[in-house]
Formats: sequence, C-alpha cells, structure tokens
Amino acid sequence: MGTEAELRQRKGARGGQKTQDAVTGKVVQGDELVTSGLNTLKSLHQSLASQGSTGDQQRPAPTPRGRRLDVVAVLLLLAGLGTRLYQIDQPRGIVFDELHYGKYVALYMKQMFFFDSQPPLGKQLLAIPAYLAGFDGNFTFDRIGTPYPDTVPIELLRTAPAVAGALLLPVTYWLLLELGVSRGAATLAGVLILLENSLLTQSRFMFLEPFLMLFAALGVLCLARFRRCGERPFSASWLGWLVAGFAFLGAAVSVRYAGFLSLVLGWGLVAHDFWTLVPRPDVSGGQLAAQLVTRSALAVAVPAAVYLGSFYCHLAVLQRAGGGYDRVMSSAFQASLEDGLATLIKNQPVAVGHGSQVTLRHAVGRPCWLHSHGKPYPDEFDIERNSSRQQQVSCYSGKDANNWWIVKDPAKSHTRLVPPFRPFRDGDVVQLVHGITGNHLITSDGYRPPMSESADYEEVSCYTGTNTSIPKQDLWKVMIVNKKDTDGAWHAITSEVRFINQGNLNMALKFSGRRLPEWGNGQQEVVGDALADQEHTVWNVEEHRYLTMESNSDDERQLEVVSSDLIPMTEMQLSFWRKFAELQLKMLFNSQETVHGHTYATDPLEWLSLRRGVAYWISPDSNAQVHLVGNAAVWAASSAALLVYSALATLYLLRRKRACFDIPDAEWSKMCTVCRTVLGGFACHYLPYFVIDHTFFLHHYLPAYVFAVMLAACTVDHLNFVASHLGWRPLRLLLALAVLLWVAACGYTFVVFSSVSYGTTPLTPQQIKDMTWRDSWDFIVHKQ
Amino acid sequence: MKAKTTKSSDGDPVSISKWIHKFRQSKDDHTWWTTFGLILCLTMATRLYRLDSPDHVAWDETHFGKMASWYINRTFFFDVHPPTGKMLIAAFGYLTGYDGKFEFEKPGQKFDETHYLGMRFGCTMMGAALVPMAFITVWELTHALPAATFAAAAILFDNGMVTLNQYILLDPILMFFIMGAAMGQSKFYNQRHNPFTVSWWSWMAFTGAMLAGAISVKFVGLFVVVLVGLYTIKDIWDILGDLSYPISYTVKHFLARALCLILLPTVLYMFAYYVHFTVLSKSGPGDGHFGSAFQSQLEGNSLHNASMPREICYGAGVTLKNHRTAGAYLHSHPHLYPPEAGPVQQQVTTYSHKDYNNIWLVKRYDVDMPSEEEEAQPDFKPECVKSGDLIRLEHEATSRNLHSHRHPAPVTKRHFQVSGYGENGTGDSNDVWRIELVDGKEGDQINVVTDRFRLIHYMVGCALFSHNKQLPKWGYEQQEVTCNPNTRAEFALWNFEENYYDKLPNVSFAIYQPSFLEKFFEAHMVQFQGNAGLKPKEGEVTSRPWQWPIDYQGQWFSIGDPDKREPGPHKDHEIRIYMMGNPVIWWGNLGFIALYAVIYVWNFVSSARGVRESAQERVRKANLTYACNWLMLAWALHYFPFYGMGRILYYHHYFPAQLFISMMSGVLVNYMLESLPRAVPSFRVDQTWTAFAVVYLSILTYSFYLFAPLTYGMSGPEKKEPGHRYDHLLWMDSWEF
Repeated sequence: MGTEAELRQRKGARGGQKTQDAVTGKVVQGDELVTSGLNTLKSLHQSLASQGSTGDQQRPAPTPRGRRLDVVAVLLLLAGLGTRLYQIDQPRGIVFDELHYGKYVALYMKQMFFFDSQPPLGKQLLAIPAYLAGFDGNFTFDRIGTPYPDTVPIELLRTAPAVAGALLLPVTYWLLLELGVSRGAATLAGVLILLENSLLTQSRFMFLEPFLMLFAALGVLCLARFRRCGERPFSASWLGWLVAGFAFLGAAVSVRYAGFLSLVLGWGLVAHDFWTLVPRPDVSGGQLAAQLVTRSALAVAVPAAVYLGSFYCHLAVLQRAGGGYDRVMSSAFQASLEDGLATLIKNQPVAVGHGSQVTLRHAVGRPCWLHSHGKPYPDEFDIERNSSRQQQVSCYSGKDANNWWIVKDPAKSHTRLVPPFRPFRDGDVVQLVHGITGNHLITSDGYRPPMSESADYEEVSCYTGTNTSIPKQDLWKVMIVNKKDTDGAWHAITSEVRFINQGNLNMALKFSGRRLPEWGNGQQEVVGDALADQEHTVWNVEEHRYLTMESNSDDERQLEVVSSDLIPMTEMQLSFWRKFAELQLKMLFNSQETVHGHTYATDPLEWLSLRRGVAYWISPDSNAQVHLVGNAAVWAASSAALLVYSALATLYLLRRKRACFDIPDAEWSKMCTVCRTVLGGFACHYLPYFVIDHTFFLHHYLPAYVFAVMLAACTVDHLNFVASHLGWRPLRLLLALAVLLWVAACGYTFVVFSSVSYGTTPLTPQQIKDMTWRDSWDFIVHKQ
Repeated sequence: MKAKTTKSSDGDPVSISKWIHKFRQSKDDHTWWTTFGLILCLTMATRLYRLDSPDHVAWDETHFGKMASWYINRTFFFDVHPPTGKMLIAAFGYLTGYDGKFEFEKPGQKFDETHYLGMRFGCTMMGAALVPMAFITVWELTHALPAATFAAAAILFDNGMVTLNQYILLDPILMFFIMGAAMGQSKFYNQRHNPFTVSWWSWMAFTGAMLAGAISVKFVGLFVVVLVGLYTIKDIWDILGDLSYPISYTVKHFLARALCLILLPTVLYMFAYYVHFTVLSKSGPGDGHFGSAFQSQLEGNSLHNASMPREICYGAGVTLKNHRTAGAYLHSHPHLYPPEAGPVQQQVTTYSHKDYNNIWLVKRYDVDMPSEEEEAQPDFKPECVKSGDLIRLEHEATSRNLHSHRHPAPVTKRHFQVSGYGENGTGDSNDVWRIELVDGKEGDQINVVTDRFRLIHYMVGCALFSHNKQLPKWGYEQQEVTCNPNTRAEFALWNFEENYYDKLPNVSFAIYQPSFLEKFFEAHMVQFQGNAGLKPKEGEVTSRPWQWPIDYQGQWFSIGDPDKREPGPHKDHEIRIYMMGNPVIWWGNLGFIALYAVIYVWNFVSSARGVRESAQERVRKANLTYACNWLMLAWALHYFPFYGMGRILYYHHYFPAQLFISMMSGVLVNYMLESLPRAVPSFRVDQTWTAFAVVYLSILTYSFYLFAPLTYGMSGPEKKEPGHRYDHLLWMDSWEF
C-alpha cells in the first residue's frame, strides 16, 4: 500500500499534475464507514505513513508505521464524531454566538451584504451546509435562547463545526506522530482532546473556533511532513506539503484573524528549517537561493490566494443590499449593490454644479449626513463657553429632509440651475445653503464648538442673519482628495471632498465624534478644525439632484427638483479589488465598541487556571444549560505540562552548556522539535493576547489550549523515556499507573461536566452546586 | 604615499592629515579628549542657545511645572507617572529660587517675574548629557573614535532632540537615565575580563542606579530594564559555558548581578516613592484618587486625625465609598428619577464631595433599630455587622431605604436601577442587601475604612455598583449608581469611610495608617488605572507609531499666545516652536536600519557557509555585529511595544528609540568608511575617507542649521499664509510649521 502511494506521488509529479492531487491522493480504501472527508484524511495519513517508511536517513525518522495505526485514528475520529454529533439539534434554541453567525448564514442565503470585522471563510463553511439543506434564511436571530422553528435545519447547520471538531482528534494524533512522539503518547493526546469538555462544547454549535483549530493543526501537520521531505527539495511531495500547509494556514487566517498567529508559527517553522540548510556544505549557494525564493514566495502567495479567494466568493455571493447592514460602507460601495442605495440614486446626475441639491455623507467611519434644523444653539454650552446662537449644524445618522443642501456659486444671487451648466472643480469656492431653512453654512468666528475642547476647533452653524456681517465666512473651498480619478471634477458618490472655510482661519468642516446633548437631539457634533489633513474632514455627495427653478418660499425650494438627464449616471460598477480594498480597510480600522466588564469576560492570565467559563445558553424552564468550561483534570495537566516541559528543557539546556549530556542526542533533538512546534505553537497562540487591548472570553484560549494538551502528551512521552532510560522497571510501571489513573480522572470529569456541554439534562440546584468546583465558576441557577 | 609627501611641504595639511590618521586609529588619548571636548562645547552651545525663550509656558510644561509647584508646596497630587522626574524638576526649581507660586495654568501663560529658568536649565543639562554619554557608549562598544563622533553628531544635530531637551519636561530626564543605563552596561561589559574588581562592581552598580532612575521617571523606562536584563542573561549564559570555572563561579556572578541589577534598583525605586510620600504631606488635588486610609494621613484632609468607632454596628450612621480610583460616596437626595429613567423613585447617585446626604443608617433586614430606651439600658450591647448578614441601608436625611429592582438603570441599561424607597424606613423585600466581605469569610466582623465589601441585592442577586458615567442634568451630573448583574465587576467594591455611633468607643484614625508598602502598592494600582484610562476618543487625532520613524508630523511646543492669536500680519516677537526631528538624520536612520539588515544577513550567511576570511576581518565584523545588534535591540525594545498600547500616544514617545538608532548610524557609517580599502585604490583611501567623513558631518550640521528655526523659534505668517518664511522647508505636506 505504502509503495503504491509513493509511486502515485512520483507519477503525479512527472505527469505535471497538480501536486494537491498527490497530497490528498486517490488512495481511497474500501472503507465506507464515514464520510468522504474521512477518506481524504485517511489517504493523507497513508501517504504520510508510507513516506515515513521510505523516508530519508539524514533526519531522525520515526519508527516505521504500518497500516494498523489507522485503527487508532479511525477510532479517534469515530469517537469524536460520536460525541460531537450526539443530539446535535439540542438545545433547539440560539446558543451564544449563534446569534451572530446564524444571522450571517441567513444573510448569505438571501445574498444580502453584511459587514463583519472578521474574514468570511468560516461563515461560508457554515453557510454551505445551510445552502445544501435548503435553508431560506428566513429567521431572525434576535436574541440568545430564541427557539428554532422547524424551518431552520439546525442539525445540519451545526454539522460542519462538529465534523471539524471531530477531525481535530486524528489530526493531533498524526501531528504528534510526525514530531517523533511515541504512538502511545500521540493516542493519549487524541484521547485528552476527546475528553475535553470545552472543545466538545465549542464544536457542537455554529461557532468558528473548530475550523480555526482544525486548519491550524492541519497546517502545522503538513509543514512538519514537508520538513521530512527536505532531502528531496522541489519534488512533488515537497512542494505539495508546503503548498498544502500554507493553504491550511491561509484558511485559518480567513476564518478569523486570530489564525494569523498560526501562520506566523508556520513561517517560523519553515524559516527555521531553511536555516538548518544554510551551513550544510552539500547544499550549493544556487540551491539555497532557489529554496529561499520558493519558500518565501509560497509562504506569502498561497495564504494570500486562499484569503483573497474567500473574499472573492464573499463579494460574488453578497450582491444585494438590505436591512441596513451596508451602512458602514462608502456610498460608492453601497451603490454597487443591488437595491438599497443603488435604487435611490439610480439615474441621478454625476457632476455637481451650481444649483445641485445634495446630501453630504461623512465618508470615513460612522455613517452620518451633514444636517441642520431650525433650532438655534443654546445661549451657552457651559459656564465658560458662549455659543454663537446661530442655527444648529450637526451630523445625523438617519435619512432626513433636513440633510439636503444646495451648492451655490457665490457669484450668483439665486440657487437656480441655468444653462450653461458649469460643474464645480477641485479648488472652486462654493456656498452651502441648507435646503429647508435657506441659511448658509458658516464657521462662527471666535466661538468654540459645543462639545470638543480643543483650542483649534471652532463652532459650525447656519447663519440666520441675526448677527453682524460675515465676510467670507460662508465661503468654502472644495478640495477633492481623489481628484485624479475624475480629472478634478466634483462627482457625486465617488469624489471625496474637504470643505475649507475661506474666512480667517481656514477651518475644515469636520465630524468630531462627540454627541450633542439633549438640545441637539443626541446628534453628532460638527466642528471646524484648523488641521485639514485628517480622515474625519472628508465628505462625499450621496444623493444628488438638480434644482432648476427659482424658488423663494421654503416649500418651493425643497420640492422643486427634477431628476435631470443632463449627465446620466451610469450604473456603479466597482472592481473586485476596489471593493476588497475598501472592505479590508474598514475591517481593520473599524474599531468595534467593546463591552467592558462583561460578566464572563476573562483575561489571558485567568485562562491558565480556568478561573471562569462562559454561560452559553440556559433553558427557560429548567436548569438545563450549556456552559463553556474545561475538563479540570485535562486542564490542570496541560497547564502543569507547560511548566514541567519547559523547566525540563531549560534544565537540559543548562546542563548541556556545562557539557553534561544527560539524554541521548536523538531524544534531545526530539525535544527541540517539540519545543519549536508545540511549545512554540502555544506561545504563538497565547502570548499575543497580553498585548491586545480587547475583551476576551475563554474560547479565545482554545487554539492555544490544543497545543497545551499536545504538550501534556509530549511530557508523558518524555517522562516515560526518562523512566526507561534510568532503567528501573518499577518507575515505568508507576508512571504508567499514574497516567492511567489520571486518564480515568479525566474521563470521570468529562462525564460529570458533559451535562453542561450538551445542555440536555435538567439539573437540580444541588447538582449545580456540586459542579461548582471553583468558587469563581458561575453556572446559572433559576430562582425558585 | 605620493600625496602625503607633496602635502608635507605645505606644513599645515600634514598636521591635519596626521591628526585625522590618529583620529582614525583611535589610539591616542590626546585626540580622544580633543574630540570629546569639541563635542561637549557644541552640545552646550546648541542646548543653551535661547534657553529662556519663549518666556511663557510651553506645551506640557503646564503639567510638570504645576507638579513641581505642588512638590514645593508639599500638597498631595496624583499623576500617572512615577515621581523621580517630577521631584528632580522640583529640586531644580527649589535650588534656583522658584517659590512654587506660579500657576502653570495653560500653555502660553507668561512667566513674567517667575524664576523658571532654573528648572529649564536643569532639564536641559540632563538632556545635554545625552550627547557625551552617547559618545562614551559608542566608544565602549567599538573603541573607534570616528564611530563615537558620528554617533554623537547624529544626536547633537537632531533638532527635535534639542527642542525636547530645552523645556521643563520628563523626557530629558528619562532619556538621561536610559542613556546612562546603556552607557553603564557598555562600560560594565568591557570590564568582563576583570570581574569582581572595584571598577567592575561600580559600573554594574551605576547601571543598576540608572535603571532605577529610568523606571522611576516613566514606566517606559521598563524597556531599558528589559534590554539590560536580556544582556545579563546572555552574559551569564556565556559564563556558564566557560568550563574552566566551576558552576559555583556562575552562581557567584549571578548573585552579584541580582544584587546590583535587581535589588539595588528596587530599593532605589522604592526610595523615590518614600521621598514622594514624605514630601507630599498636605492634602491636595490628588486625595480623591486614594483610599480612605491613605487620606487619613494627609494634613488638611477631613479624615486627618479623625476618630470614630472601629466596628460597624446596627444603628450606626455611615458613609460608603466606592472602592476605586476617585471613587465617590453613595449619595441620595430628595429628588426623583424622571419617568424616562425607570420607576419614578428617589435618586441614588455617587457624589465626590462630603455632604450630609451621604450618610446612611445601618439596619438589620428584619427588625427595626434599637430604640433609644433600649440603648440606654446599662446592659445594652450593640450588635455589629458581620460578613454574610442581610442588612438594609436607610438614607438618614430622607428616611428612604436603598432599593433595587428589575428595571433598567437610567444610563447603563444592562444594569438595574437603584433608588430610595419606602416611608420612614419601612420599605419592602427589595430593600434587603447581603454584605459580603472581600478577603474574608462569612461571620467576620466588618471594620470601617480597611475592609472592602460587596453589597448583593438579596432578591435580584446583583451587586451595588458605580462608575464614572454621569447622569444627565436631572441627576445634577452626579455619577450613576446601578445594580450590576455581574457581581464580580471591578467597581462593585465599597468600604465604609465614616462611622458615627455613640455607643461604641472612638478609635483614632491613626491605627488605619497604611504602612509604606501598602501606600506604595496602592499608588501603583491607581497609576495603572490612570494609564489605562488615557484612551483616545472617537474623532480625536492621535499620533500612531508608524508615523514616528518617518518623521511624519511634529508637535507644536509653542504657538505664541492662543488668546491673542489675531488674523493679519504676525508680530515678529511672537515666536513659535515646533518639535520635529531633523528629517535628514531620521530618514537617514531608516536607510541605516535597512543597510544593517542587509550587512547582518550577508555576514551571518557567509559565516554560516564557512567563507574564508582574514582573522582581522572576522574581528571587525564581530565588533560590528556586537555593537549594532545591541543598539538595534535597544531601538526595537523602545519602539515596537508602542504598537500594542491602547493609550494615547505622542510623537515624543519615539525619542528614546531614536537615540539608539542614531548611535547605530554612527557605528555603521564608521564600518562603511573602514570598508573603503576594498573599494578604493590604496593610495586614495585616506583622502576618500576624509572626504566622506567631512561630507557626512557637513550634511548633519547644515541640515541642523536649516531646520534650526523650528527649534529656536519661528516668526512671521503661518503655513499657507502669504509671506510664510519657511516654505522651502516644507518637504512633507503633513508638517505643520
């Protein structure tokens, strides 16, 4: 079997087939126990095992493995599927973040655009089964606990993460085998992950972490496998494993940005592997250069391709607007979607000129429109600051008739559009007349704005004529940021414009981000800022129409509108790259308001000691509940293993520095590999959380935790080695006994806490009290 | 050779070229001192020039000058930074006759008769020391006089550095200590071959003292501690690898370092706080940030020398303080919540001032208070409150009970409303609270001031909570009090501050006096909270770390007098100061970073590939790697952590990192010049070397001269106005001068 796979791979390489074929292989066995995904993985494993047997001599090759290893993997997978899929439709209500992901899946079904600050692949993986099951997306995911009607195929929606969670078991097993750890220890790792309640809970619902963990583990597995092909660089398998590894890591990034940490780990592993080649005399300089170029090109290009691909699908599928989910995006982006803004601005003219009626949108960040209304500012903002008592100007987040402004040429005395039509260009000076009240937008010289305290700011208002003269203060110079795109012309939707006041201080019209108090109806403050070059001074024309008739009365002015065909607007078509670039920037810089002091929020240091879980769901009529909490026995061992293993490695390192070689080189090199991959993986996935300022929950720790569990198995493996190295037989027995007892304890804990992992058992308050092993765990108890 | 002989006939050029030769060889003490002296003179000249202008408060002088005044007046204040820097400023002021009377109200305020120059002079001197110290550091790292000179010049001619060092700020002091630690470390490293000698010990102790200084000026001093720590680990690692010594030798080395680099800095750091607490003995603007026990030590505070019963008993009148930074007192007043804020019941808030309306009576949950007759009985024994008890709190002035129910709170809708309810102390079951001691078990006695506790609402199970969110006008903009369903919330802790009960003996507050260590830790908690609170608001322009190395935007130090800023022609005496790094040096440094990365990788790969080279060349490369790695690491440690910081960042945060990268540029320029023999015919080497060195130094000097108006004062119209005098310097659109 092994040689056959080997042959196939070689043939694949010669025949110029895609290397992916060689990797995932067609070595399908007659095994019809499970899904095709299993088959893929199994064949993957077999090519893996076969490589091991025919592997290179230079590197410490693990012991040859035969077909029987598959039994362990298959058993692990079956056990994983069994535990994860058992009563998958229970509880039949919205559990925790299903609230968000379910909503996104529903929007995918309706092809409606939505904005989320995480990449789309994970949501797409959730959406595929929903699509296959014929889910129509007609369900409002309103709040946690709402029961699902029969129209929501919840068991299928939850299947994808459950399968991913089950696949994690054999993948960990293989990864440890690949690192040279004994089969027993690798099996132990699989069993520990099987018995880990937190991983079970996280895999049973519509969450993204199972995908993230699976892709990270698969990526590292492929790269470890790649490392063992080092003696045959540029062979099909070498390239294949490298590409596959980075493809999986790219997929991890595309599920959640936290996957970037896995990618960093992958880069580190490949770079280190490259570094070991540099001093070797048998590798020529040319070969080194070729390796460097290939590795770095693939390390960047493959994840980027996967990432872009997921966005391509995202934007290709989500073509419609609706529900206001696209409000964060720019006007141009919104106009490129069907329905929504696109219908509103259909056939509206492009070029802005004298007499144009416009709404002005704050272009970057919180969406709102320049607004004014017939109320003056209050006499004083606070004890020290008087207002100009002119008409209020603000930025309003809703569509309103008061958002309409007329752009006027200062040289003309009317606001009518008369031929010849001359569009405004970059650098032109205009007046902005409020459509409904007819007052001019000015900066009130000498008055500070209502909320902002900076000395560089000035109040902005509409001039009501009750003050003395205002030379030039109602003149605004139009500065178009992206003037190159339109050759300097001012276009609706696409032109990003700054308005610089031509009064004394060249103030730029700016959205300050502060809310006005009650007198301003809680709208956003608009100020003049001396510093023009910043993103909050940018505006764009959204809705646009021409005003043709002279209108004297207020009613006429606001209604006399024709949708002129002077310059008809072509339908907005944005390229994928432009949409992607905008979406990407918004995702990176859209700071979501984080809820501080959430009841179940935890910080990274508390994760190690499992100080607190997260309540996911509670039954409305009994104390049955889903609560994310770890298996205390597995958890304690994993956290202890972090300490023990690094302490041992440090000890050996110090001893080696003193030329005391306590363990054989083979074991030492295995320890180094484990330290790099597993301990390094843990560090990569854990330490960055200390410097990120955000609200975190226990499930953010799970990707790192998988590595900690693997390390626990590696520690047992090493202790076993030490015991046999010392050559005292009872010690080995003792160790074996201890491990057995501990696994039994893990099993017991698993059973105890499975009731809150599955959430199907109604619990009595006493039972819950018995489960509160730590005072800080807050299970929910209904009051009688 | 030919060139030399022709020159020797002229006489003068020979001595110059001889001198340059000696300079390059760096063997001659005389040359060393000449160079050092020259640099010292230039430093003093650039730093002291126009020190007294502007004669008004510039930029953050308003903060640090104010704090110096507080030290001189001994009034307690709170600041997010540790005390050493501000105490040094105060000391400069005190010694030069500043009386602490100036307000430092806002930038632009005229100093008039105030003795402000002493403080500026002190800061400037510490900032000026950076240049000679950089010189010595690079000398110790490379033993090459040209390298040290180039490094010192890159700092000497940096306009931003001069500006930042000329004012009453913490930065010159901070950078002094950082640079001092770097210098000590490099000196100490060169003593490695004669361990346990006096100079070995003293340089190590010097480094430790400088570390203490750095971290006790600003917490960013931590980065230099990490730098020294990492190198100490490497040092110990090398010693451990020396098999000719027994392991005890390594232990000895380790203990010596623990003594000088851990213990000594810790002691000095704590000593700074000791001085801080001792000097600031009077009540002042910082009281409210600290706990009740702390306040009782401040002269003039209402808790100073107060006395009250120690235990809280049923029937006592108490005030409750929210246990957090600037936590206020639980308060109620006879005004109702408006209908939009939930049930129309009496408002409960927190209020930072002491007031009769802060007093609450402690009652048992089921029975009324002991009557006066009962209390008059001779055998009457007051019953005291224990952790876990169910209690009610009655507002003394209005006789309403502290109450909560399942209605959303006025501002924080996730929480429940807390109100005053009932008539004459009779309410309902929603008035019952369970008192839970933190760090104590059920049944423990609850003491005033020292004990922290939670109040858990018995029916709802939420915790009494307060935070900084203000109520609208109807609540007199006092702070909101809610019942938080998350009982472990940070701000759900309270303590009793005042306790009136005449049946119990009064104890003097002196017994609550926290020990120095308690005060030390409390001050740190408060500082960390304060630092975390410095978050930018939406729409606010903040400086981002990526902008710093490219010199994207400077910082206004003085814009003349903002109140008198008038349109029209500017008066010439209204000078403006703009702190911005010399772009030639800054952009050059970026180039040097890239260049070093290339050289490093090249050297590393070629040595890993076993390329043969002369022993001399290997030593030269090893020296470069040692010096530059150290400086690059220092730069990275002082720069990259800012990317992870959520607080408000400013341009001047980059300057410590800039010091190190400027030093590296010196080392690298020297390395490049010394590599000339490979590229130039041997008889041209000397001239080429001189030419390059002169051109390099001239560029630095000229660019400094070019941008000098930014540092020493600009006048005339502003940017974009007609007649702006500095248009030729506006190389980037983002510069604002």
